[in-house]
Amino acid sequence: MPSLQPYVNPRYFVILLVCLIPLIVGLLRGRRHRNYETLVSLVFIVLMFAGDKWHEGVALVVYVIWQLALVTGYAHYRKNNNAYWVYLTSLLAVILPLAIVKITPVFSVHPSILGFLGISYLSFKAIQTLMELRDGTIKAIDPLYFLRFLLFLPTISSGPIDRYRRFAKDYNNVPTQDEYLEMLRKGVRYLFQGFLYKFIIGYYLGTVWMPRVAHVALMQRSASGGTGITLALVAYMYIYSLYLFFDFAGYSLFAVAISQFMGINTPMNFNQPFKSKNIKDFWNRWHMSLSFWFRDFVFMRVTFFIMKHRWFKNRVRIAQTAYLINFLVMGFWHGVTWYYIVYGLFHACAIIINDMWLRWKKGKNLPSNRWANALAIFVTFNVVCFSFLIFSGFLNTMWFTHAIR
Amino acid sequence: MKRKLWHIFGPVACACVLVFAGLLLPLPLDKPSDAEVNRAATSLNQDVLLGQQMKGAAAARGYVPFIGSSELSRMDPFHPSVLAQKYHRGYKTLLLGGPGTQSLTQFVDNQNVYNKLKNKKAVVVISPQWFTKMGQRPDAFAYYYSPLELSGWLLAKRGGVADRYAARRILQMNNTTGLIHQCLLNVAAGQKLSTNQRFFLRLQHQLLRNEDRIFSRFNRTNNIKRIDDAAKKLPNTATDAQLDTLANKMGTQASRGNDFGIADNFFDKRLRGKRLTRLQGSQANFDYRRSPEYGDMELLLHEFAKNHTQVQFIIPPVNARWADFTGLPESMMYQTVAKIEQQLRAQNFTNILNMVPDGAKKNYMTDTIHLGWRGWVDVDKTVRPFLENQQPTPKYHLSNYYFSKKWQNKVVGAN
Repeated sequence: MPSLQPYVNPRYFVILLVCLIPLIVGLLRGRRHRNYETLVSLVFIVLMFAGDKWHEGVALVVYVIWQLALVTGYAHYRKNNNAYWVYLTSLLAVILPLAIVKITPVFSVHPSILGFLGISYLSFKAIQTLMELRDGTIKAIDPLYFLRFLLFLPTISSGPIDRYRRFAKDYNNVPTQDEYLEMLRKGVRYLFQGFLYKFIIGYYLGTVWMPRVAHVALMQRSASGGTGITLALVAYMYIYSLYLFFDFAGYSLFAVAISQFMGINTPMNFNQPFKSKNIKDFWNRWHMSLSFWFRDFVFMRVTFFIMKHRWFKNRVRIAQTAYLINFLVMGFWHGVTWYYIVYGLFHACAIIINDMWLRWKKGKNLPSNRWANALAIFVTFNVVCFSFLIFSGFLNTMWFTHAIR
Repeated sequence: MKRKLWHIFGPVACACVLVFAGLLLPLPLDKPSDAEVNRAATSLNQDVLLGQQMKGAAAARGYVPFIGSSELSRMDPFHPSVLAQKYHRGYKTLLLGGPGTQSLTQFVDNQNVYNKLKNKKAVVVISPQWFTKMGQRPDAFAYYYSPLELSGWLLAKRGGVADRYAARRILQMNNTTGLIHQCLLNVAAGQKLSTNQRFFLRLQHQLLRNEDRIFSRFNRTNNIKRIDDAAKKLPNTATDAQLDTLANKMGTQASRGNDFGIADNFFDKRLRGKRLTRLQGSQANFDYRRSPEYGDMELLLHEFAKNHTQVQFIIPPVNARWADFTGLPESMMYQTVAKIEQQLRAQNFTNILNMVPDGAKKNYMTDTIHLGWRGWVDVDKTVRPFLENQQPTPKYHLSNYYFSKKWQNKVVGAN
């Protein structure tokens, strides 16, 4: 039996939406059929890992049992105790499967048997829940709700990354009829916006244009003194960047749209990122659920850690160190290859430079008008596109592999 | 609430109805223009091969199908398409094939072409390299898989040894799903399709046909310029001997940088250095004598026989110096060709150009296994009279024996 991959073709949407009809009717009447929803989710998750992906399914089951035991176990412990070493051990144990899966490719040509589609996003949710338990912002965990949160069908394989408290609040509630009608309206809108992004624009960029530009660029790989810098490479940079946005934003829109149909307000993931005026602005608009996650659970915590242990007094140095660590972690999370790590470092440097620029600019009487604005957007856009060229791994292919055919 | 729901879902419902109506109704789209067909005929585009509209129109308008694989893309000035254009031959070429298209793909993909070849002519380039132990590569089959042509094939009356063999082979490619897969299982088992299956198959076929009609217009690849450029390198009139001399000159000029007589741009890109040393002696165990490809080729012969199509077969050689270097056994090659020829001749397909003994001729091959320069000139010497002169009506007598495992595994010409 072939596996049913989320959002790959119109058929998936038709099947899923037809299956969701009883749920939608229920929500319109002010009832949330949680058991039915769980059943549909289970069937779709099973189909996702059916056929030749069954071993990924097994990995998922083992993974979920592992995380459930850790998170509920820690929640139980946290009620009366709060030792740092228990927290740290639990946290490392929660991160462990993801770390193994990400590091395995460095040592082996075979991917880890622990891996499955979506492990990163499940891990983000589990880590976040554990950290908030430690903070005390989450008081108790309902194992069933936690499972539903972890395995929430619309976002299971990629995101956006929701937060447990937010999710549980939606899930415990039933929207009023007017609220739900508004959700349906938004759902349809996002769904069609997603179709436009992923299946039309993304298709032309990724399937039609990108391979051709890549081919031309590879043909001239020895140009410009062996660096391969050609017009084709520049074109590839822009096309890849736009493709990355439209493909992923399209995917995220699908996830948000389906969540709306299910009466859950999954947060949006993109907010017109190419309109950003500086790199900080960009990270507030690009893959927002991820960047906010990193802000809250890496950057902020590193900052507090440094302040608590008084590594530096200078607040600027603290922020800079935290940025470096934050983006390096993100780079390593994408994968242990030089280009992901350089991508992380590049963004850390970009943000540090951006901060320096903002500090320098303060108090100076620089013009602030339409043109300055346009220039800022232009510069940011190009810096971002260049970072995506690094991210794409195309430079790796061009410089370090030999073309066959 | 109903009003609000209609505001939300009404437009979606209307859009769905419009899209499906557009795809399911027989659309009265006008026929492609001559220029569009002309461009498609030499484009070697995957969409042309997988679609119906363009190649069907070309076949109906008298283009001669050249059925083959990767060699069709070696468009030097002596390529059949270039010669036909430059010297205003009485025929135009419809190139059907690409890297990895073997008999089974050509059988499935060209269903609507074969129907249009009644009492007409075709050229088939049969590569000995197709006849491997596994035959048609499943990944290549998947790449060139045409659900449109396959559903068309299924909708015709199916039964008999050839159809069952075809269905079995297609199933072995492990690429079909859903309705088509179910129908293939039926044909392979010798059962009729159910009324239900036929109904949905017809719907699907109509949908795919409309899709093809709409999208085959947007043909993206274009070889017209390549052919024009190549044609510019040819004199306005030339005898076969003059062409041969020119081909020799061009070939020598283009292949000075290596000892194999391989075009330098190919050699430098694909073989130079470490790759070359790795390939030394690498083909000593190659064997083309036992292969399901023999059965698949029989499928093509059945299509030609059914339509009384006159076919010129061409069996290209391997670059002899390359064969020496890689250790490809010569006796095996001769036995392979002997077997192919026996299968063709026994069923009265007699127009066969066996070029395998010519692999050592200078400037004959553009690379390791693909014809170029003088090789193409030799092809032209046979193809041109075959296509320009009236041929006697063929009387084929087919034998299902050639679908059998016994024949596929038989070695011919060994002693």
